[in-house]
Amino acid sequence: MRIDKTQRGWAITSLILVAVFTAIYVVYAVHAPEGPRGGSDLGLTFGVIGFGFMLFAALLGARKRVPTWRIGRAQAWMRGHLWLGLLSLPVILFHGGFHFGGTLTRVLMWLLIITVVSGVFGAALQHYVPRVMTTDVKLETIYDEIGNVQKLLREEADRGVETICGPLGIGKSANEEVQRAGGFSAARPMVTSSGGAAVAAETVVLSEEECAPLRKFYLSEMRPFLEQPKMRGSRLSDADKAHGAFTGLQTLMPEAAQATVQDLEDICDEARQLVRQEQLHHLLHGWLLVHIPISLALILLGAVHAVMALRY
Amino acid sequence: MWRAGQAPPLQTLRVAGRTWRFLRTRWRVTDRGGWHNLARTRTTKKLAQRIDLNYFKRPTLLKRAKFWLSVAVPLLAVVWIAWHGFSRDSSVYSSGRMSGAHAVLEAECAACHVQTAGTFSAKASDTACLSCHDGPMHHAAKMDAGDCATCHAEHRGRMSLIAARNESCAQCHGDLKTSNGATRFAAHIESFEDGHPEFAALRSNGAVAASDPGTIRVNHAIHMKPIRRGPNGPNVQLACGDCHQAAAASAKWNYADAAYTTATTSYTDLDEVLALQADAFHRSKPMSGRELVAPVKFAYACAGCHSLAFDKRFSEGVPHDKPEVAHAFLVKKFGEYISAHPAEVRVMRDPGRDLTGKPLAPEVRVLTPTQWVTERTAEAEELLWRKTCKQCHALKVGDRQDHLPSVEPARTTVKWMPHAKFDHNAHRGFSCESCHQKALTSTETSEVLLPGIATCKACHAPGPEHAESRCFECHTYHDWSKRKEVIPTFTLPALRKTGN
Repeated sequence: MRIDKTQRGWAITSLILVAVFTAIYVVYAVHAPEGPRGGSDLGLTFGVIGFGFMLFAALLGARKRVPTWRIGRAQAWMRGHLWLGLLSLPVILFHGGFHFGGTLTRVLMWLLIITVVSGVFGAALQHYVPRVMTTDVKLETIYDEIGNVQKLLREEADRGVETICGPLGIGKSANEEVQRAGGFSAARPMVTSSGGAAVAAETVVLSEEECAPLRKFYLSEMRPFLEQPKMRGSRLSDADKAHGAFTGLQTLMPEAAQATVQDLEDICDEARQLVRQEQLHHLLHGWLLVHIPISLALILLGAVHAVMALRY
Repeated sequence: MWRAGQAPPLQTLRVAGRTWRFLRTRWRVTDRGGWHNLARTRTTKKLAQRIDLNYFKRPTLLKRAKFWLSVAVPLLAVVWIAWHGFSRDSSVYSSGRMSGAHAVLEAECAACHVQTAGTFSAKASDTACLSCHDGPMHHAAKMDAGDCATCHAEHRGRMSLIAARNESCAQCHGDLKTSNGATRFAAHIESFEDGHPEFAALRSNGAVAASDPGTIRVNHAIHMKPIRRGPNGPNVQLACGDCHQAAAASAKWNYADAAYTTATTSYTDLDEVLALQADAFHRSKPMSGRELVAPVKFAYACAGCHSLAFDKRFSEGVPHDKPEVAHAFLVKKFGEYISAHPAEVRVMRDPGRDLTGKPLAPEVRVLTPTQWVTERTAEAEELLWRKTCKQCHALKVGDRQDHLPSVEPARTTVKWMPHAKFDHNAHRGFSCESCHQKALTSTETSEVLLPGIATCKACHAPGPEHAESRCFECHTYHDWSKRKEVIPTFTLPALRKTGN
């Protein structure tokens, strides 16, 4: 969720709350005989408010799991999660008087700090990554399907090369033999042509000599790249170097193969973009691997702390 | 082999038992009846076709990691806290490390957190504190100041529990009220910087200026300049430490006289000092003996210069003691002398001692030894009472039946701030006169040479660049003179075991 003008109300309310809490804390800290303590009346009040904010922020997960709940709009829950979750840090610091305390409270403080910092980091990414995604990944697809699309691209490239060079001798898995409908050069029902007798799929249209540079390039560079696009070291993983490679290849290939070479370059470009998309997606959502588990542990241990603090 | 103009290559695909033949999209019939290779096209439909519509049901690595971490991390937290619970280690719930004095109780929560039978609560109470050490009351007329933890906050790390905040004291002293409604102390003190009055010893009481109650006449100004050492001695420059040293100091006395330091006296140290009220001694710890400067002793500081000679026949001086002791000494000395020199009972009139207006004594007199002793003793005492002793002591003549003078008590003030503690030893890095500047110019005993509060404030102020200025630095809350001994109950093995 982007933090924009629509969240001005939440922002102003949060700032006012922080200012009020800070003012109360300063007066309390100055006049408390032995300094601010979590166990004092005001310290406990801060603790209850802070834990309440954390609980509300944590309930966003439940709200997301049951989207049909009629308890406020998801957008409002998200905004509450953002702002109240952020507020919980200063309130809890006021609760403890900026002391991290003993073992459990120290663990709790660090869990809270990690949770809030990771959340702020995630919110900041929401402003940065989508813009980069739009710029860098024009051929974006659904993240979950990246692997599948990469496989389709590989098959398409195989077919393109085999069409003009003949069989490449690459063992394909059963999966790769079954092609789903769709895709750039995906098979479609043949349009009847004038002279149109059906030709075998593996028809070789270039001589072996003509085809040699393409075959060599494809087998030695491009297919390894398409199989493992994230692997570093290949010049095809760099846009400029890849363009240079394909330009050089085009000079070696006859006219009839130019379109195929162009296709192969496009496929490489798309494969590269998908890698970039995957990286950006991991960046955009990877912080949740820290944020969610840590926040759950925080809530759990926070409840234990609340109970045991009442005892001692 | 394909040649331009020939039919384009087809592909076959076998799906569900049927064979499909496909024309690759880039091949199209040209105007001349041949085939042309077209570029790849990208349409929404084509993009949609390559997506598995059930993709969201398949768990990705990211989703799986998120799920399992969300299970594992909280589970780890539960295991961690449960492990402490099963091993009966409650220290994990501690709100912080304990003070240095209580560090041994770090894992022994129950030592202070006494669980009330049948209830969940196990809060620390004053009873737990008082079971180990007494906390004598502050002042008989004080209002209620709360429990121990009001001022002594535990679980704040390895800090000193006596280092209470100013606010603890200001709870009462910020607006001092007593149970009997009266107080002789400043009523609005928030801190050393805010509301603390000038030291009482330096404050005027109405029209009466602050005054040293001591009776020993000392001209500090003269002693701080080069001064002759005795009637025939060289000029010397005295230092403060030549006369003033801490009670437990073992430094060399430059102006001591062995004849006096080894002599016993009939008066005691307490006869010399100002009588203090018992509750003036608030001590939080045993005194080292170096905190306060000891009263100046004649034997150690004065005898080197101030001779107590009483007669030219004797090189030794009279004892520095009470008049009756000095009198007995004189009688004894002169008696011994006349026994050894019986010819001296014949006394020649000394023309140098003829005083105008007084009848002249006969030219030659022959005295009995007793008469001789009486006369010599009287002459010596005349010298002592009117000059030698009176130079420093206040003497009263005529109020005793034995006609000897009575010496005013010295009333030396040992502790100028009875409600505060000051440690000269802690300030030994400073020269005496840097604080006691008035000593350089003081000519009267009545002048109080105690430095004012401004001198202290030059160093003792809030902030890390200054010396400590909180109340506890000089004041002690509990009146330890009223402490009661507490019988300890802990045993080392019990404290060594962990848990609870």
